[in-house]
Amino acid sequence: MGSDNKEKKEERLNLLYGDLDTVAKMAKESLIKGKIAKMVDWATSFSLWPVHLMTSCCGCEIGAAWGPRFDNERFGSLPWVSPRQTNLIIVEGTITKKMACTLRIVWEQMPYPKFAIAMGSCALDGGIFYNSYNIVRPWQVIPIDIYIPGCPPRPEAVARSIIELQKMLKNKSLASKWILESKREDKKYIIPKEDLCGWRGERVDLTTRYD
Amino acid sequence: MDGGVKGLISLQDMIKEALGNNIIKIEDNKGYMDVVVPLEKLKESAIKVKQLGFDHVKSVTAVDYIQKKQFMVTYHISSYLNEELSRHVLGLSTFIDRDNPHIPSLATIWTSAEFQEREVYEFFGIIFDGHPDLRLLLLTPVVAALKPLRKDFVVKEDSINIEVDYAAYNATKWW
Repeated sequence: MGSDNKEKKEERLNLLYGDLDTVAKMAKESLIKGKIAKMVDWATSFSLWPVHLMTSCCGCEIGAAWGPRFDNERFGSLPWVSPRQTNLIIVEGTITKKMACTLRIVWEQMPYPKFAIAMGSCALDGGIFYNSYNIVRPWQVIPIDIYIPGCPPRPEAVARSIIELQKMLKNKSLASKWILESKREDKKYIIPKEDLCGWRGERVDLTTRYD
Repeated sequence: MDGGVKGLISLQDMIKEALGNNIIKIEDNKGYMDVVVPLEKLKESAIKVKQLGFDHVKSVTAVDYIQKKQFMVTYHISSYLNEELSRHVLGLSTFIDRDNPHIPSLATIWTSAEFQEREVYEFFGIIFDGHPDLRLLLLTPVVAALKPLRKDFVVKEDSINIEVDYAAYNATKWW
């Protein structure tokens, strides 16, 4: 009994003197055990702001989904222009090999915790361009959380995907886990950035280099 | 309607007068006129057509005649400023050799041809001599080396009979 009291007293003293390690440890414990983690998940799930990256025809459905009739803003989601102030990326349709680099750069600019929705059959596995020479699957570029099938999906399906992502956030506590562990495991299919963005449109001699 | 037909006839005469002996073949069809000129006289003909009032290129494209071993490069030309000419689209075509595809660039005559010549360059491998900035536009170097819009390019199919083993399809590195 006495030794326990002594330890607690020491901890408190450390806190008073400003021992950073102890404070960080205590803060982390309170994050894991306490209600702050749940609050982070709750707050993140109602502020899913998608970045404005319209790559394909599904962008029209996105416009309808956030428009006045289907009004996805009631889920606390607001399309925003800059990737620096957003935490959700909706990949609309086909990603060409040159656009893949842009997608990766936009995704890397977004602050953690960030999520991704792949929309439309092109984003699932190529769609009608399944055997094209110039496309790439979005899951090769960024880790995807939710897929929406359809060509194009209805705005209701987009709304559903937002709700499903909110459920995933709350049940699996994705946001707080990401903050605590600061990593994602589903990155193994992703192509490295130097392969995506190595060539920036410089002049190349096709006849000698690649024939 | 009568005025349109009248305009069409006079346009054909106008082009025949301007180009003279350069024309190999000329035919018109409801406002679309196709003129085929030899490769050596393409640039000269283009300058003469521009002097008539055709001020921009709508599209540049190529057709692959694989059995004749020829490409037909077509410039679709029209006008913004001349009201009479803006009703018509003029196709200025020329045939080039398929094994050694070189063609003088018309980007110095019509600036709007510059981007589209770059597109034809990457999809067909046709080299435009004298182009100010001949870089790839839409494709990456590995894919562009395959020249994907040529007839001998086979698209990958999920079929037993067709076996295509293009490295560019499965490569994760495309530059």
